[in-house]
Amino acid sequence: MDDFGEMALREREARRIARRQWFWLHFAVYATTQVFLIIVWALSSATYPWYIFPLFGWGIVVAAHAVFAFVVRHPDEILIERARREHES
Amino acid sequence: MRWLLEPYADPGFYRVGAYLLLGLPLGVFEFTIVVTGLSLGAGLAVTLLGLPVLLATFLLAAQLASFERDLAATMIEAPMPRQFLRRDAAGFGWRRLRARAGDRRSWTEVAYLLVVRFPLGIAGFVVVVTLLSLALALALYPILYAAGVPVELGTWQVDTFPKTLAVAPISVLFLLTGPRIMLAWGSLTSRITSRMLGWLDGADVKQAVVDVLGRAGGADAFTILDEVGLRLGRGPFLTPTKLEATLLTLESTGTIVAAQVDDRTRYSLAMLEPVA
Repeated sequence: MDDFGEMALREREARRIARRQWFWLHFAVYATTQVFLIIVWALSSATYPWYIFPLFGWGIVVAAHAVFAFVVRHPDEILIERARREHES
Repeated sequence: MRWLLEPYADPGFYRVGAYLLLGLPLGVFEFTIVVTGLSLGAGLAVTLLGLPVLLATFLLAAQLASFERDLAATMIEAPMPRQFLRRDAAGFGWRRLRARAGDRRSWTEVAYLLVVRFPLGIAGFVVVVTLLSLALALALYPILYAAGVPVELGTWQVDTFPKTLAVAPISVLFLLTGPRIMLAWGSLTSRITSRMLGWLDGADVKQAVVDVLGRAGGADAFTILDEVGLRLGRGPFLTPTKLEATLLTLESTGTIVAAQVDDRTRYSLAMLEPVA
Protein backbone atom coordinates (compact mmCIF):
# COMPACT_ATOMS: atom_id res chain seq x y z
CA MET A 1 0.00 0.00 0.00
CA ASP A 2 1.39 3.40 -0.96
CA ASP A 3 1.14 6.70 0.98
CA PHE A 4 -2.16 7.66 -0.63
CA GLY A 5 -3.64 4.23 0.08
CA GLU A 6 -2.72 4.65 3.74
CA MET A 7 -4.34 8.07 3.86
CA ALA A 8 -7.51 6.65 2.30
CA LEU A 9 -7.45 3.76 4.78
CA ARG A 10 -7.19 6.17 7.74
CA GLU A 11 -10.11 8.17 6.33
CA ARG A 12 -12.24 5.00 6.10
CA GLU A 13 -11.31 4.01 9.64
CA ALA A 14 -12.22 7.47 10.96
CA ARG A 15 -15.58 7.26 9.20
CA ARG A 16 -16.21 3.77 10.59
CA ILE A 17 -15.38 4.92 14.15
CA ALA A 18 -17.66 7.96 13.80
CA ARG A 19 -20.52 5.76 12.55
CA ARG A 20 -20.15 3.45 15.56
CA GLN A 21 -19.95 6.32 18.02
CA TRP A 22 -23.18 7.77 16.61
CA PHE A 23 -24.82 4.37 16.96
CA TRP A 24 -23.79 4.01 20.63
CA LEU A 25 -25.04 7.53 21.34
CA HIS A 26 -28.38 6.65 19.70
CA PHE A 27 -28.52 3.40 21.67
CA ALA A 28 -27.83 5.20 24.96
CA VAL A 29 -30.65 7.70 24.31
CA TYR A 30 -32.95 4.81 23.32
CA ALA A 31 -32.13 2.71 26.39
CA THR A 32 -32.47 5.64 28.81
CA THR A 33 -35.83 6.66 27.34
CA GLN A 34 -37.17 3.10 27.46
CA VAL A 35 -36.09 2.62 31.08
CA PHE A 36 -37.77 5.93 31.94
CA LEU A 37 -40.99 4.87 30.18
CA ILE A 38 -41.01 1.49 31.93
CA ILE A 39 -40.55 3.21 35.31
CA VAL A 40 -43.45 5.56 34.49
CA TRP A 41 -45.56 2.54 33.51
CA ALA A 42 -44.60 0.63 36.68
CA LEU A 43 -45.34 3.60 38.94
CA SER A 44 -48.67 4.34 37.31
CA SER A 45 -51.67 2.16 38.03
CA ALA A 46 -52.11 1.28 34.35
CA THR A 47 -52.03 -2.43 33.72
CA TYR A 48 -51.81 -2.33 29.92
CA PRO A 49 -48.12 -2.51 28.91
CA TRP A 50 -48.17 0.50 26.55
CA TYR A 51 -44.39 0.91 26.81
CA ILE A 52 -43.94 -1.96 24.31
CA PHE A 53 -44.98 0.33 21.44
CA PRO A 54 -42.04 2.76 21.72
CA LEU A 55 -39.82 -0.15 22.79
CA PHE A 56 -40.41 -2.05 19.54
CA GLY A 57 -41.19 0.92 17.27
CA TRP A 58 -38.01 2.77 18.08
CA GLY A 59 -36.23 -0.58 18.48
CA ILE A 60 -36.65 -1.23 14.75
CA VAL A 61 -34.90 2.08 14.01
CA VAL A 62 -32.08 1.22 16.47
CA ALA A 63 -31.67 -2.21 14.82
CA ALA A 64 -31.49 -0.58 11.37
CA HIS A 65 -28.90 1.88 12.72
CA ALA A 66 -26.85 -1.03 14.10
CA VAL A 67 -26.86 -2.71 10.68
CA PHE A 68 -25.73 0.59 9.10
CA ALA A 69 -22.98 1.10 11.70
CA PHE A 70 -21.56 -2.43 11.86
CA VAL A 71 -22.50 -4.29 8.68
CA VAL A 72 -23.15 -2.00 5.70
CA ARG A 73 -20.06 -0.91 3.75
CA HIS A 74 -19.78 1.64 0.99
CA PRO A 75 -19.29 0.13 -2.50
CA ASP A 76 -16.01 2.07 -2.84
CA GLU A 77 -14.64 0.31 0.27
CA ILE A 78 -15.66 -3.11 -1.06
CA LEU A 79 -14.02 -2.33 -4.42
CA ILE A 80 -10.75 -1.20 -2.79
CA GLU A 81 -10.54 -4.17 -0.44
CA ARG A 82 -11.29 -6.63 -3.25
CA ALA A 83 -8.59 -5.03 -5.41
CA ARG A 84 -6.13 -5.17 -2.50
CA ARG A 85 -6.87 -8.87 -1.90
CA GLU A 86 -6.37 -9.61 -5.61
CA HIS A 87 -3.11 -7.65 -5.55
CA GLU A 88 -1.83 -9.56 -2.51
CA SER A 89 -2.76 -13.04 -3.81
CA MET B 1 -19.22 30.64 29.22
CA ARG B 2 -17.04 32.11 26.46
CA TRP B 3 -17.94 29.13 24.22
CA LEU B 4 -21.64 29.94 24.73
CA LEU B 5 -21.22 33.65 23.95
CA GLU B 6 -18.85 33.31 20.97
CA PRO B 7 -21.64 32.84 18.34
CA TYR B 8 -23.01 36.35 18.99
CA ALA B 9 -19.80 37.84 17.56
CA ASP B 10 -19.76 35.49 14.57
CA PRO B 11 -21.57 36.68 11.39
CA GLY B 12 -21.96 32.99 10.43
CA PHE B 13 -24.37 32.51 13.33
CA TYR B 14 -26.75 35.15 11.94
CA ARG B 15 -26.51 33.56 8.50
CA VAL B 16 -27.48 30.18 10.02
CA GLY B 17 -30.39 31.86 11.85
CA ALA B 18 -31.60 33.52 8.62
CA TYR B 19 -31.30 30.21 6.73
CA LEU B 20 -33.36 28.40 9.36
CA LEU B 21 -36.02 31.13 9.33
CA LEU B 22 -36.18 30.97 5.51
CA GLY B 23 -36.79 27.21 5.78
CA LEU B 24 -40.52 27.55 6.41
CA PRO B 25 -41.53 29.80 3.45
CA LEU B 26 -39.07 28.18 1.04
CA GLY B 27 -39.97 24.64 2.13
CA VAL B 28 -43.69 25.29 1.71
CA PHE B 29 -43.18 27.02 -1.67
CA GLU B 30 -40.94 24.29 -3.11
CA PHE B 31 -43.08 21.46 -1.75
CA THR B 32 -46.22 23.02 -3.28
CA ILE B 33 -44.60 23.51 -6.70
CA VAL B 34 -43.20 19.96 -6.91
CA VAL B 35 -46.30 18.21 -5.53
CA THR B 36 -48.58 20.17 -7.87
CA GLY B 37 -46.37 19.51 -10.90
CA LEU B 38 -45.95 15.79 -10.22
CA SER B 39 -49.61 15.12 -9.43
CA LEU B 40 -50.84 17.19 -12.40
CA GLY B 41 -48.32 15.57 -14.74
CA ALA B 42 -49.01 12.03 -13.52
CA GLY B 43 -52.79 12.64 -13.62
CA LEU B 44 -52.69 13.95 -17.18
CA ALA B 45 -50.12 11.41 -18.40
CA VAL B 46 -52.80 9.23 -20.05
CA THR B 47 -53.74 12.17 -22.33
CA LEU B 48 -50.02 12.75 -23.15
CA LEU B 49 -50.45 16.35 -21.98
CA GLY B 50 -48.98 15.25 -18.67
CA LEU B 51 -45.60 14.39 -20.17
CA PRO B 52 -44.48 17.99 -20.82
CA VAL B 53 -45.87 18.90 -17.39
CA LEU B 54 -43.74 16.16 -15.82
CA LEU B 55 -40.68 17.32 -17.76
CA ALA B 56 -41.33 20.94 -16.72
CA THR B 57 -41.58 19.77 -13.10
CA PHE B 58 -38.24 17.96 -13.33
CA LEU B 59 -36.61 21.04 -14.89
CA LEU B 60 -38.13 23.33 -12.27
CA ALA B 61 -37.08 20.96 -9.46
CA ALA B 62 -33.53 21.06 -10.86
CA GLN B 63 -33.55 24.87 -10.76
CA LEU B 64 -34.96 24.90 -7.22
CA ALA B 65 -32.34 22.35 -6.13
CA SER B 66 -29.62 24.46 -7.72
CA PHE B 67 -30.87 27.47 -5.75
CA GLU B 68 -30.94 25.36 -2.57
CA ARG B 69 -27.36 24.21 -3.25
CA ASP B 70 -26.12 27.82 -3.54
CA LEU B 71 -28.16 28.92 -0.52
CA ALA B 72 -26.89 26.09 1.70
CA ALA B 73 -23.28 26.58 0.55
CA THR B 74 -23.43 30.33 1.25
CA MET B 75 -25.44 30.44 4.44
CA ILE B 76 -24.70 27.21 6.33
CA GLU B 77 -21.42 26.34 4.58
CA ALA B 78 -22.69 23.00 3.27
CA PRO B 79 -19.97 21.46 1.07
CA MET B 80 -21.20 21.33 -2.53
CA PRO B 81 -19.42 20.30 -5.73
CA ARG B 82 -18.57 23.18 -8.08
CA GLN B 83 -19.87 21.31 -11.09
CA PHE B 84 -21.26 17.97 -12.18
CA LEU B 85 -22.43 16.35 -15.37
CA ARG B 86 -26.15 16.10 -15.98
CA ARG B 87 -27.26 13.27 -18.22
CA ASP B 88 -29.66 15.13 -20.44
CA ALA B 89 -30.99 15.48 -23.98
CA ALA B 90 -31.80 18.66 -25.88
CA GLY B 91 -35.32 19.97 -26.47
CA PHE B 92 -38.56 19.62 -24.63
CA GLY B 93 -39.78 16.24 -25.75
CA TRP B 94 -39.96 12.57 -24.90
CA ARG B 95 -36.19 11.94 -25.15
CA ARG B 96 -35.41 14.64 -22.62
CA LEU B 97 -38.13 13.45 -20.24
CA ARG B 98 -36.71 9.91 -20.48
CA ALA B 99 -33.19 11.20 -19.82
CA ARG B 100 -34.34 13.20 -16.80
CA ALA B 101 -36.51 10.39 -15.42
CA GLY B 102 -33.57 7.98 -15.79
CA ASP B 103 -31.14 10.32 -14.02
CA ARG B 104 -30.60 9.53 -10.36
CA ARG B 105 -29.86 13.19 -9.65
CA SER B 106 -33.36 14.26 -10.81
CA TRP B 107 -34.99 11.89 -8.35
CA THR B 108 -32.78 12.85 -5.40
CA GLU B 109 -33.57 16.52 -6.10
CA VAL B 110 -37.30 15.81 -6.15
CA ALA B 111 -36.98 13.65 -3.00
CA TYR B 112 -35.03 16.42 -1.25
CA LEU B 113 -37.65 19.06 -2.07
CA LEU B 114 -40.56 16.80 -1.11
CA VAL B 115 -39.51 14.83 1.93
CA VAL B 116 -36.46 16.60 3.34
CA ARG B 117 -36.55 20.35 2.74
CA PHE B 118 -40.19 20.75 3.76
CA PRO B 119 -40.11 19.04 7.22
CA LEU B 120 -36.53 20.15 7.91
CA GLY B 121 -37.45 23.75 7.02
CA ILE B 122 -40.44 23.71 9.34
CA ALA B 123 -38.40 22.15 12.17
CA GLY B 124 -35.59 24.71 11.76
CA PHE B 125 -38.07 27.59 11.80
CA VAL B 126 -39.72 26.21 14.95
CA VAL B 127 -36.33 25.83 16.68
CA VAL B 128 -35.34 29.47 16.00
CA VAL B 129 -38.73 31.00 16.80
CA THR B 130 -39.14 28.96 20.01
CA LEU B 131 -35.67 29.84 21.30
CA LEU B 132 -36.06 33.53 20.42
CA SER B 133 -39.54 33.72 21.95
CA LEU B 134 -38.51 32.03 25.18
CA ALA B 135 -35.39 34.17 25.55
CA LEU B 136 -37.14 37.47 24.82
CA ALA B 137 -40.51 36.81 26.47
CA LEU B 138 -39.12 35.85 29.87
CA ALA B 139 -36.68 38.78 29.85
CA LEU B 140 -39.54 41.17 29.01
CA TYR B 141 -41.92 39.90 31.76
CA PRO B 142 -41.08 42.73 34.23
CA ILE B 143 -41.69 45.38 31.53
CA LEU B 144 -44.94 43.70 30.40
CA TYR B 145 -46.13 43.47 34.01
CA ALA B 146 -45.31 47.13 34.61
CA ALA B 147 -47.26 48.03 31.45
CA GLY B 148 -50.31 46.21 32.83
CA VAL B 149 -50.25 43.26 30.41
CA PRO B 150 -51.44 40.04 32.12
CA VAL B 151 -48.51 37.62 32.32
CA GLU B 152 -48.56 33.85 32.77
CA LEU B 153 -46.05 31.04 32.44
CA GLY B 154 -47.91 27.88 31.49
CA THR B 155 -50.59 27.51 34.16
CA TRP B 156 -48.71 29.71 36.62
CA GLN B 157 -50.01 33.29 36.96
CA VAL B 158 -47.08 35.70 37.27
CA ASP B 159 -49.13 38.29 39.14
CA THR B 160 -46.57 40.18 41.24
CA PHE B 161 -43.54 42.19 40.23
CA PRO B 162 -41.07 40.06 42.28
CA LYS B 163 -42.40 36.96 40.49
CA THR B 164 -41.64 38.55 37.08
CA LEU B 165 -38.13 39.33 38.29
CA ALA B 166 -37.75 35.74 39.45
CA VAL B 167 -38.59 34.24 36.02
CA ALA B 168 -36.58 36.80 34.02
CA PRO B 169 -33.20 35.07 34.65
CA ILE B 170 -34.54 31.91 32.95
CA SER B 171 -34.26 33.87 29.70
CA VAL B 172 -30.50 34.08 30.28
CA LEU B 173 -30.39 30.29 30.04
CA PHE B 174 -32.02 30.44 26.60
CA LEU B 175 -29.90 33.41 25.51
CA LEU B 176 -26.79 31.40 26.40
CA THR B 177 -27.75 27.99 25.03
CA GLY B 178 -29.96 29.16 22.13
CA PRO B 179 -27.14 30.07 19.70
CA ARG B 180 -25.36 26.74 20.21
CA ILE B 181 -28.63 24.83 19.69
CA MET B 182 -29.27 26.83 16.50
CA LEU B 183 -25.73 26.20 15.23
CA ALA B 184 -26.06 22.48 15.98
CA TRP B 185 -29.34 22.37 14.06
CA GLY B 186 -27.71 24.31 11.20
CA SER B 187 -24.83 21.82 11.15
CA LEU B 188 -27.24 18.87 10.98
CA THR B 189 -29.16 20.59 8.16
CA SER B 190 -25.89 21.26 6.36
CA ARG B 191 -24.88 17.59 6.53
CA ILE B 192 -28.25 16.35 5.27
CA THR B 193 -28.37 18.94 2.45
CA SER B 194 -24.81 18.16 1.41
CA ARG B 195 -25.51 14.42 1.43
CA MET B 196 -28.64 14.77 -0.72
CA LEU B 197 -27.75 17.58 -3.11
CA GLY B 198 -23.96 17.62 -2.99
CA TRP B 199 -22.99 14.14 -4.17
CA LEU B 200 -20.85 13.40 -7.18
CA ASP B 201 -21.52 10.63 -9.63
CA GLY B 202 -18.62 8.22 -10.21
CA ALA B 203 -18.59 9.29 -13.90
CA ASP B 204 -17.96 12.92 -12.88
CA VAL B 205 -14.85 11.97 -10.91
CA LYS B 206 -13.67 9.59 -13.66
CA GLN B 207 -13.96 12.33 -16.27
CA ALA B 208 -12.15 14.83 -14.03
CA VAL B 209 -9.30 12.33 -13.38
CA VAL B 210 -8.92 11.62 -17.10
CA ASP B 211 -8.90 15.38 -17.84
CA VAL B 212 -6.22 15.99 -15.20
CA LEU B 213 -4.05 13.13 -16.46
CA GLY B 214 -4.58 14.23 -20.07
CA ARG B 215 -3.31 17.69 -19.21
CA ALA B 216 -0.50 16.73 -16.83
CA GLY B 217 0.68 13.64 -18.68
CA GLY B 218 1.07 11.72 -15.42
CA ALA B 219 0.66 12.36 -11.71
CA ASP B 220 0.50 10.65 -8.34
CA ALA B 221 -2.78 10.32 -6.44
CA PHE B 222 -2.07 13.29 -4.12
CA THR B 223 -1.60 15.61 -7.12
CA ILE B 224 -4.68 14.17 -8.84
CA LEU B 225 -6.75 14.74 -5.68
CA ASP B 226 -5.60 18.38 -5.51
CA GLU B 227 -6.25 18.99 -9.21
CA VAL B 228 -9.66 17.25 -9.22
CA GLY B 229 -10.51 19.14 -6.01
CA LEU B 230 -9.69 22.45 -7.71
CA ARG B 231 -12.08 21.56 -10.47
CA LEU B 232 -14.95 19.92 -8.58
CA GLY B 233 -14.49 21.38 -5.09
CA ARG B 234 -13.52 19.61 -1.86
CA GLY B 235 -15.89 17.99 0.59
CA PRO B 236 -17.38 14.65 1.58
CA PHE B 237 -18.26 14.10 -2.09
CA LEU B 238 -14.55 13.85 -2.99
CA THR B 239 -12.62 11.80 -0.45
CA PRO B 240 -9.33 9.90 -0.81
CA THR B 241 -11.36 6.66 -0.72
CA LYS B 242 -13.57 7.81 -3.60
CA LEU B 243 -10.53 8.82 -5.65
CA GLU B 244 -8.75 5.54 -4.86
CA ALA B 245 -11.82 3.58 -5.97
CA THR B 246 -12.06 5.68 -9.15
CA LEU B 247 -8.37 5.12 -9.95
CA LEU B 248 -8.78 1.36 -9.40
CA THR B 249 -11.84 1.29 -11.68
CA LEU B 250 -10.05 3.26 -14.41
CA GLU B 251 -7.04 0.98 -14.07
CA SER B 252 -9.16 -2.16 -14.29
CA THR B 253 -10.87 -0.88 -17.46
CA GLY B 254 -7.50 -0.11 -19.01
CA THR B 255 -8.07 3.65 -19.22
CA ILE B 256 -5.08 4.48 -17.05
CA VAL B 257 -1.89 2.66 -16.09
CA ALA B 258 -0.14 2.71 -12.73
CA ALA B 259 3.58 2.50 -12.02
CA GLN B 260 5.27 2.35 -8.62
CA VAL B 261 7.77 5.20 -8.04
CA ASP B 262 9.34 5.05 -4.54
CA ASP B 263 6.44 5.11 -1.99
CA ARG B 264 3.94 6.56 -4.44
CA THR B 265 2.00 5.21 -7.38
CA ARG B 266 2.17 7.29 -10.52
CA TYR B 267 -0.78 7.22 -12.89
CA SER B 268 -0.93 8.11 -16.58
CA LEU B 269 -3.40 7.72 -19.41
CA ALA B 270 -3.28 4.49 -21.35
CA MET B 271 -5.24 5.96 -24.25
CA LEU B 272 -6.24 9.39 -25.43
CA GLU B 273 -10.00 8.89 -25.84
CA PRO B 274 -12.17 10.46 -23.11
CA VAL B 275 -14.03 8.14 -20.74
CA ALA B 276 -17.72 7.60 -21.50
